[in-house]
Amino acid sequence: MALDPKRAWIRQWLTFVVVLLLWEAAGRANLLNPLFAPSPSEIALALFGLFSSGNIWTHLEATFTAALGGLVLGIAAGIALGVVAALVPLIAELLQPVMTLLNAIPRVILAPLFAIWLGIGIASKVALAFILVAVLMFFTVFTGIRQVDRKLVERVVTLGGDRWALVRHVYLPSVAASIMGHLKVAVGFAFTGAIVGEFVAASRGLGYLISFAQSTYNAALMLALVMLIMAVVLLIFAVSGRLEKYLMRWN
Amino acid sequence: MHVRDLTISYGDAPVLEGASLDVDKGRFVSLVGPSGSGKSSLLRAIIGLQKPLSGNVETGLARSQVGILFQDDALLPWRTARDNVALGLGFHGMHRREALQEAESWLDRLGLAGFGDRFPRHLSGGQRKRVALAQVLALRPKLLLMDEPFASLDAIVRARVVQDLVDLVEREGITVLLVTHDLNEALTLSDVVYLLSHGPRARIMQQYSVPIPRPRDLVRARTHPAFGPLYERLWSDLSREVGRENPAEAA
Repeated sequence: MALDPKRAWIRQWLTFVVVLLLWEAAGRANLLNPLFAPSPSEIALALFGLFSSGNIWTHLEATFTAALGGLVLGIAAGIALGVVAALVPLIAELLQPVMTLLNAIPRVILAPLFAIWLGIGIASKVALAFILVAVLMFFTVFTGIRQVDRKLVERVVTLGGDRWALVRHVYLPSVAASIMGHLKVAVGFAFTGAIVGEFVAASRGLGYLISFAQSTYNAALMLALVMLIMAVVLLIFAVSGRLEKYLMRWN
Repeated sequence: MHVRDLTISYGDAPVLEGASLDVDKGRFVSLVGPSGSGKSSLLRAIIGLQKPLSGNVETGLARSQVGILFQDDALLPWRTARDNVALGLGFHGMHRREALQEAESWLDRLGLAGFGDRFPRHLSGGQRKRVALAQVLALRPKLLLMDEPFASLDAIVRARVVQDLVDLVEREGITVLLVTHDLNEALTLSDVVYLLSHGPRARIMQQYSVPIPRPRDLVRARTHPAFGPLYERLWSDLSREVGRENPAEAA
């Protein structure tokens, strides 16, 4: 039977539901140790508990603020540095080795350092999300500009465009495409930064809750939090997908 | 416009050596020659995209009065046809609303009324070429340089675009320097044709006057009594030139 690609989502959801049911059945048949692998209903209950008690909101707010703050600042800084480095050879010469090094290390190892420097408040989480996103965006923009179509550059120059016109009409739009392509990765990075930062040292946030769940051996809560984070990221993907569709409507 | 003793080099042997030519005001002049004879480099040198090794170019015009049309239309893919045409006007300080109106009237004049909102991707090859033409002509150049701009179009579309261009150029009294390897095109369009020798170290070999009266109908120009003999002369000179450098091809 040929698979109709339009119905893929039906098959995917069906499989998902079947797996959940099997998992639930295995839990009820006492085949799984609830301490390690709580059944879906227990996870749902934990998730429900988070919201019904109402204290999830302060944690969500903390994580969102840190992630979105780091995302916006990181994108802005990455674009600015990428543009400057691509246009001024000296800056490229100085920045590139630093960025390459930062790109090569797992940047989350900076989390404890940021906690020392900036304290256990939101600043250290924003900083971690920022550094994760900024390095990614720097390379996206830097290589994007270097691969810009020379013919478009010559066209704008011969029509009388100056350097700023080139940036505005050729460089930024062409890197916008690669930025859009990396936006989802950047969103993931921003949440990674915020949550890992909270995991290391915090008094609020989803990362803090996960670390709390771990210290109390509460697997149901931990999985509930994983589900919650997934839902949050999917929501943001949907928004950035809309944005991408609008900005790339010429394509 | 006068070009004196122009030599262009990309490192080793010069592609073009000691080229001199004159283009009188309001004339249509073509440069014909084998590939690699530095025709394109000559145009690029005239508009300042290529620095010559020696010699000089005197257009007697401001930079903004010289327009160039390349083989590729090189329209900004993220701008509509109208925005693309308005681009150069904006660079020269025209206000946006006025520039868009002017752009619309140029699209109109080139038979693209109603296509202003389309992105280049949603236009045919011939339409894109017309947009590129409008983009350059909107700046009201006194001198128009063209580097095989119609090579990518199929015969029928090409004939129509070229005829429209010729009508416009004749009406506005624009001076044109066209690079082509199509002898037919060169003779039907031009008042003067220059033949370049084989590169490297290409030189200008011959100059031919085309005594076909204006305004010209491009189909009828071909049946003018002067056309046949001139075509044969140009063809035999060009074949001899190609054969001199490349005996295998001539045999």
